[in-house]
Amino acid sequence: MTQETAAASQPFVMDTAFWTATTIFLLAYAAIISEKIHKTIIAIFGAGLILIFKILQQHEAFHVEEFGIDWNVIFLLISMMVIINLMRPTGVFEYIAVKSAKWGKGEPFRIMVIFAIVTAVLSALLDNVTTVLLITPVTLFIADALEVDPIPYLISCALASNIGGTATLIGDPPNIMIASKAQLDFMAFIYHLAPVVVVMMIAYLFAIKFIWGKKLKTREELKKRIMAMNENEAIKDPVMLKKSLFVLAVVLTGFVFHGVLHFQPATVALFGAGLLLLLSKTHEPHHILAEIEWPTIFFFMGLFIIVGGVVKVGLIKWMSMQILELTQGNMFATSMVVMWFSAFASAIVDNIPYVATMNPLIVDMARQLWPNLSGVQLLQHPDLMPIWWSLALGACLGGNGTAIGSSANVIVVGMSEKAGSKISFMKFMAYGMPLMIMTVLISTIYVWLRYYVMKI
Amino acid sequence: MKAKDLMIPLQDYLKPENTLKEAVNLLLTAKRGEEKVGVKGLPVLDKNGTLMGMLSMGDILKAVFPSYMSMMDLGEFTWDGMVESMAKKVSGKKVEALMTEPVVTVDEDASLMECVDHMIKKNVKRLPVLDGSGRVVGMIYERDVFSAITKAMLDENDGGAK
Repeated sequence: MTQETAAASQPFVMDTAFWTATTIFLLAYAAIISEKIHKTIIAIFGAGLILIFKILQQHEAFHVEEFGIDWNVIFLLISMMVIINLMRPTGVFEYIAVKSAKWGKGEPFRIMVIFAIVTAVLSALLDNVTTVLLITPVTLFIADALEVDPIPYLISCALASNIGGTATLIGDPPNIMIASKAQLDFMAFIYHLAPVVVVMMIAYLFAIKFIWGKKLKTREELKKRIMAMNENEAIKDPVMLKKSLFVLAVVLTGFVFHGVLHFQPATVALFGAGLLLLLSKTHEPHHILAEIEWPTIFFFMGLFIIVGGVVKVGLIKWMSMQILELTQGNMFATSMVVMWFSAFASAIVDNIPYVATMNPLIVDMARQLWPNLSGVQLLQHPDLMPIWWSLALGACLGGNGTAIGSSANVIVVGMSEKAGSKISFMKFMAYGMPLMIMTVLISTIYVWLRYYVMKI
Repeated sequence: MKAKDLMIPLQDYLKPENTLKEAVNLLLTAKRGEEKVGVKGLPVLDKNGTLMGMLSMGDILKAVFPSYMSMMDLGEFTWDGMVESMAKKVSGKKVEALMTEPVVTVDEDASLMECVDHMIKKNVKRLPVLDGSGRVVGMIYERDVFSAITKAMLDENDGGAK
């Protein structure tokens, strides 16, 4: 705590350290956007520069919450990945997919709706990337079976995963990061974000009905291909499946009560990962651990250090002062600026670096507004809460705007190109952008009504 | 014995711009000496005679196997006629999109054991043989190596019978 208040009161000067850190930060952003070098390499190298130039001491980068790596985010991500990697071989995801297609009775649009709902729900419980990695192959498969164009299904799943992921703390990386920074618990996200996500999802289903409802057609004999599939054949390891579902239930229960029990979400997830590893009786954790998406994890770690550097030199504080000046301290205006700016920024930039930057910015802003408060009283000031939710809504939903807006979109577009159905940048945007604007508009009305009119 | 003593001089080869349909046709009718026997793989050469890749039966199996099938266990759910319809879908694809590259090659002066070394460690069944200037002059197939081995064994047996 002492470190946090010390940093808050630190006066900043635009000295060499300020410009060095700012240059590293801006170059890293530019390099990430250009996609010439892999983003993980940029993040690691940028973090190296921050340390070499002594913007941050190594101790600050590794052990100080204010400036360094947020281990809560890192361990939450790693643990969830371990759990999912252990679950995958059981066949449960194939089971869910085939079962969904059969619920759809082979009707192309009905299947699209069911897939969108299943994707949204899975994205809320797992992360979006995992969800689309599981849903995209099955979508392509079902489209081949029905001899329909897979592209509408793929775009619809990508968009639904970003909408669904917005609903919970673990659904989307921005939420994981915001929760950790603002010390918000799982139920707070359910209470504040899930209701509006349900509304958005309903609006979204009407929108896809309007766009694709009449265009998707198949023949009766092709529907029989779907109906002939027996989803029970998908289950490869029923014993492990039971263990996995048990652990998943433990973890989800843990998430629901972690606030009350005073556990961090990462504690719950790490316990779950350890428990499932133990129950799996595997003698080779090597494979399971190797399948963790290490590039993503290192991307996070590097970014935390780069952003920590510009937090320390005061760039972020300066940026937060500019926003407050722009909105003249009007909190509704501030939350709207945060939401809409976040949406368009996340459509262009990866929302992970974006939120890594915005999180400390909002904290700095809070310190200027309430200089006498600290800790949870500061982070969860009633007037600040709508800003956190606006950031979450904007950053998560903004990912839908373009093909590169979220990792889920990038994966869907990549997989579909590999399978021979190329989705161009413009084609994705033609559907993604209007639907993004629609969901952000719904969020605008929601935030305004709930926090500024009804004040609940 | 050296690679050049064992190789079958180059006769048939594919071009990168050939379609899969043309390619399978050539695979079926490729010659071995004077005989049309068909082969399981052919080298792909560009118009300058530079080796671009190899196209084998395995590559063609992979071509009809949708990429999404390798990402999830969906084998049980496939339907009758799926392979045939995939085959029709990919028949117009270009060889260059599906060939295996880079290719494991041997020099014409390479020893027979070097050929076996490649076949075992790199899991290939056929090796293009290059001359000093890097041009493909022939092919060594697994069966040719095998026949050299059988010959050696039988010679030795003859010796022992004396």
